[in-house]
Amino acid sequence: MYDYIQKKGYVYMAVELKTIEHLCELSKLDYDEEGMKKVMGEMSDIIDLMDEIKEFDLTYDDTKDGNEIRFGDTREDVPEESFPTDKLLANAENTDGCYVVPKVVE
Amino acid sequence: MDIKRAKIRDLRNALDNKEISAAELCGEYFKRIEAVDPQLLSYITVTKDKAMKDAENAQKIIDAGKSAPLTGIPLAVKDNICIDGVKTTCASKMLENFIPPYNATVIDKLNEQGYVLLGRASMDEFAMGGSTQTSAFAKTKNPYDLESVPGGSSGGSAAAVGASLAPAALGSDTGGSIRQPSSFCGVTGIKPTYGRVSRYGLVAFASSLDQIGPICNDARDCAIMLNAICGHDRHDATSANVDTPDFTEKLGQPINGLKIALPKEFFSDAVDETVKSCVLDAAKELEKRGAALVDCSMPGLKYAIPAYYLIACAEAASNLSRFDGIKYGFRGEGRTFEELIRDSRSRGFGEEVKRRILLGNYALSSGYYDAYYKKALALKQEIIKEYNDIFEIADVILTPTAPTPAYKIGAQDNDPVKMYQADICTVTVNIAKLPGISTTCGYTADDGLPIGMSIIGKRFDEQTILQVADAFEQGFMTIAPKL
Repeated sequence: MYDYIQKKGYVYMAVELKTIEHLCELSKLDYDEEGMKKVMGEMSDIIDLMDEIKEFDLTYDDTKDGNEIRFGDTREDVPEESFPTDKLLANAENTDGCYVVPKVVE
Repeated sequence: MDIKRAKIRDLRNALDNKEISAAELCGEYFKRIEAVDPQLLSYITVTKDKAMKDAENAQKIIDAGKSAPLTGIPLAVKDNICIDGVKTTCASKMLENFIPPYNATVIDKLNEQGYVLLGRASMDEFAMGGSTQTSAFAKTKNPYDLESVPGGSSGGSAAAVGASLAPAALGSDTGGSIRQPSSFCGVTGIKPTYGRVSRYGLVAFASSLDQIGPICNDARDCAIMLNAICGHDRHDATSANVDTPDFTEKLGQPINGLKIALPKEFFSDAVDETVKSCVLDAAKELEKRGAALVDCSMPGLKYAIPAYYLIACAEAASNLSRFDGIKYGFRGEGRTFEELIRDSRSRGFGEEVKRRILLGNYALSSGYYDAYYKKALALKQEIIKEYNDIFEIADVILTPTAPTPAYKIGAQDNDPVKMYQADICTVTVNIAKLPGISTTCGYTADDGLPIGMSIIGKRFDEQTILQVADAFEQGFMTIAPKL
């Protein structure tokens, strides 16, 4: 399942740079060069550990999932008072009665 | 009044008999917090002013003769459980200044009883870790050895109770985060069945695994706390609509004839010899009290760590996508919307949180989903089946809580794999949605560090695991830390 095995000194990396870059894109995270090197090594070790699961020879049956506990019925759809706007905005920065973000549309 | 290792029920008697007022009791705990916590670092925020107001209100209830079990009882609350108007940081720079606009359901329930909030207990950032060393604000130490970790992620809660900086605390447990720190800090902690306690207001890590529970000095106090916080909640669709028994009911009842299973895989070479022998001695002790020991096997345990981390991180990647620096939380810089979000997340989250988000997105991404995430779900089904098979022949299961006692601070730094593997004894309980309790069953001979054992029960049978833990505790002499 590795994209390819990248030889780096005597350390074999399970994931390549482009995979980590793709994951950063999905995760909305950035690393500097040093951080990227470090996280590549760590993710490589972690994915080696996760790969152990491939030895396990069973298939997921979604018809059997989630039946362990019967949860309550959904509540009635009754309108309720919502939180006061100023209380919700209290945790946001740069508010002017609303959430302020950088210009999205040019 | 000596508050060292004071039980909730002792404090209840002292308050109701007017030996001490709620404010004086609170003051005793703050004195200890001021004296001990600068070294221990178990609290992120101490809420002295609020506590004094809480105590004043509690005193009125006590004076009116209307005390509930937790009226006037000072408690610590893990810093990922929302309290209206009280900073809730999740030990993350991301939520450094976050003040929730509402209470978690468990807090509403504690308020109904008139509890007193001492402060917010430290934890691993967003509950991701087993050492409390990923906390951005208070890297808690172990009360038995200040050079060792307290466990985690509810390390602040367990250390505070262990060092008598609170008589009890709330924690949360996604893969062992109540039980493992309870084991390391020599206290008792219970993870209830998934759905027993509302998760409304608990900052989500992995929604199918998270559960709030108490950490106390013993099983009897855990039962009192669980009575207070359990129950169906319409705000949480995964809270189970089941009967809530009195969890103190079976305490003290004999355990004659109770069948206790010992799955051999939990006693493998991966577990420290001292821990193994301590837990097996405890099993013999329970046998002497009339329980029957049953040998059994759980082959799926071999793959439990990858299964757990794939499921937990996949859910975490999704849950933590809400932190964008816009509505609340750390706000970074950026000329565009995309840049702002990326900078907020990159600088707001710590390294371990970021690793888990990356792993979660890896497991869920196109091309890897079937090989990792779906395989982990298949493993989950297998683990549930194996537990069901064991419960056909036994009433409870006994295992070590952690493969080792508390380890030195820094011993697992820069080694996430080692850190993940240390969760082997606890994660399957969350995967199978079962209740589990950890209690102290011994101490290491050389440095006196506590060793914990876990008792795992059938779904919604917290009463029996509390009964067994209590039966053991009644014949076991605990040793308090010297702090």
